[in-house]
Amino acid sequence: MTRLRADRRRPMTLLRAVVAELRKTATLPASAAATAVAVLGPLGITVLNAFSVRNAIRSGQPGLVAYTSPAEAAFSAAPLGTIGAIILGVVVISSEFTANSPDAGGGRQITATLAATPRRLVVLAAKAVAVVLNVLAAAAITLPACLFVADFVIGDLATPDDLGPTAARAAGAALYWTLTALMALAITVLTRSGVIPLIVLIVNSSLVSVSMVLTHVTTLAYYLPDAAGMRLFADDPLGEFEHALAPLTGGLVMAAWALGFLAVSSAVFTRRDA
Amino acid sequence: MLSISGLTKRHGPRTVLSDVTFQARPGRVTGFLGPNGAGKSSTLRILLGLDRPTAGTALIDGRPYRKLPDPIRAVGSMLDGSGAHRSRTARNHLAWVARAGGVPKRRIDEVLDQVGLAGAGRTRVGKFSLGMGQRLGLAAALLGEPAALVLDEPVNGLDPEGIRWIRGLLRGHADAGGTVLLSSHLMSEVAEITDDLVIIAGGRIVATGPLTEVIAGHATLEEAFFALTGADR
Ligand SMILES: Nc1ncnc2c1ncn2[C@@H]1O[C@H](COP(=O)(O)OP(=O)(O)OP(=O)(O)O)[C@@H](O)[C@H]1O
Ligand SMILES: [Mg+2]
Repeated sequence: MTRLRADRRRPMTLLRAVVAELRKTATLPASAAATAVAVLGPLGITVLNAFSVRNAIRSGQPGLVAYTSPAEAAFSAAPLGTIGAIILGVVVISSEFTANSPDAGGGRQITATLAATPRRLVVLAAKAVAVVLNVLAAAAITLPACLFVADFVIGDLATPDDLGPTAARAAGAALYWTLTALMALAITVLTRSGVIPLIVLIVNSSLVSVSMVLTHVTTLAYYLPDAAGMRLFADDPLGEFEHALAPLTGGLVMAAWALGFLAVSSAVFTRRDA
Repeated sequence: MLSISGLTKRHGPRTVLSDVTFQARPGRVTGFLGPNGAGKSSTLRILLGLDRPTAGTALIDGRPYRKLPDPIRAVGSMLDGSGAHRSRTARNHLAWVARAGGVPKRRIDEVLDQVGLAGAGRTRVGKFSLGMGQRLGLAAALLGEPAALVLDEPVNGLDPEGIRWIRGLLRGHADAGGTVLLSSHLMSEVAEITDDLVIIAGGRIVATGPLTEVIAGHATLEEAFFALTGADR
């Protein structure tokens, strides 16, 4: 009897945990910073891209830029959103494990989290849901705003974009950000500290992508997590990435990676001492 | 009732708890004493489902903590201070705990008031003193109006007023039929507050029983403590 009652409460527990995690992200300055990067980063780069396109066209030298479409100006700014998503995925976990100053008892938030929600899978699922909702909300604001700004700046000079493919690329970018955030979350569960995942993941998605370097060695590298989904939003105006996975295949491969990372981190998180 | 039975915990080759067995009963304040590194926090962490035992069980009214449907409404706990993230305010910390634990929102103001932090609800926890952090931890423990309280060194850092307050709080909680299990290093406090004692040394229980029985044959609790733990050298 009591077992049955306890089991029926599970959806309630998950819902409560999700609401609690949403509150936690809403009141953590580091996650506000992550959202700011995800929203303002792409917008800023889009503006820069759009002005260089406009200037190139106005000066009669469109050959100076790789593209003249507003959508291209917007989506080539999407990696900044990836960085915001990485920060969010990392801090949602690392904030649980940062110790308070010894002056204040040196405790960590994970103690309070697991006291309120002792089922570890529920905690992890709630965190994943909160991250996904936050990233999708950021994407829903940022991507249309970027497209609008690019269109506004480049104006009539632009090569027009088709609505269908542009919407698909926007959805693809949102998916790419979401899956990246989930992988960052899963990796931070393993490290507990956010420092290494932040440095490695941000460098990898901004300065040098290890996967992209490896694609010069073998095209199999296009199956690596960050490379797999690149075509979800990135076009290939210069024809550099002919072996990259098609959007659908790539999206599925990337999703499989994210699920794999989450499975490993769940296994570790449920077994490890807090 | 909190029942710890046959608890053993190893970290690699190190055995930090060996066959630890004791109970904390309703209506009683149980003091958990032992030298630094004796295994008090290790025991309480297992009781609260934070760490897994190598062997043995730790049950709350017959169930492990992880199986409690509404854990913070059954057991209020505090380990290592507040458990609040330093960049969040006290009120925001309690707000998410209440959400996660299914506790009504009105309790947030009630407990802030109860622990004397009514004026500090909007202060970031990173700016708290040790005693304020401790009070916030107690506020979180009291949030769900739990029947049992499990507190690791709750008096640590509290000012005289705070110590007197917590003494009254714990006594009142037990007198109302609640269960209190607390660890402490302050012998005089423990002698004053507790009904039952559990003494641990080197990961093994060396004495359990009513305060008067454990002290019997010694001048004070302190004398009994040193004699039982062999820490007086
Ligand atoms: N994660 C860990 N890995 C290895 N050893 C550990 C770990 N956690 C605790 N210990 C060891 O377990 C022993 C008991 O530690 P515990 O924190 O339970 O002591 P305590 O009685 O609470 O001490 P104190 O009075 O100082 O708080 C110590 O020797 C400690 O070093
Ligand atoms: Mg301790």
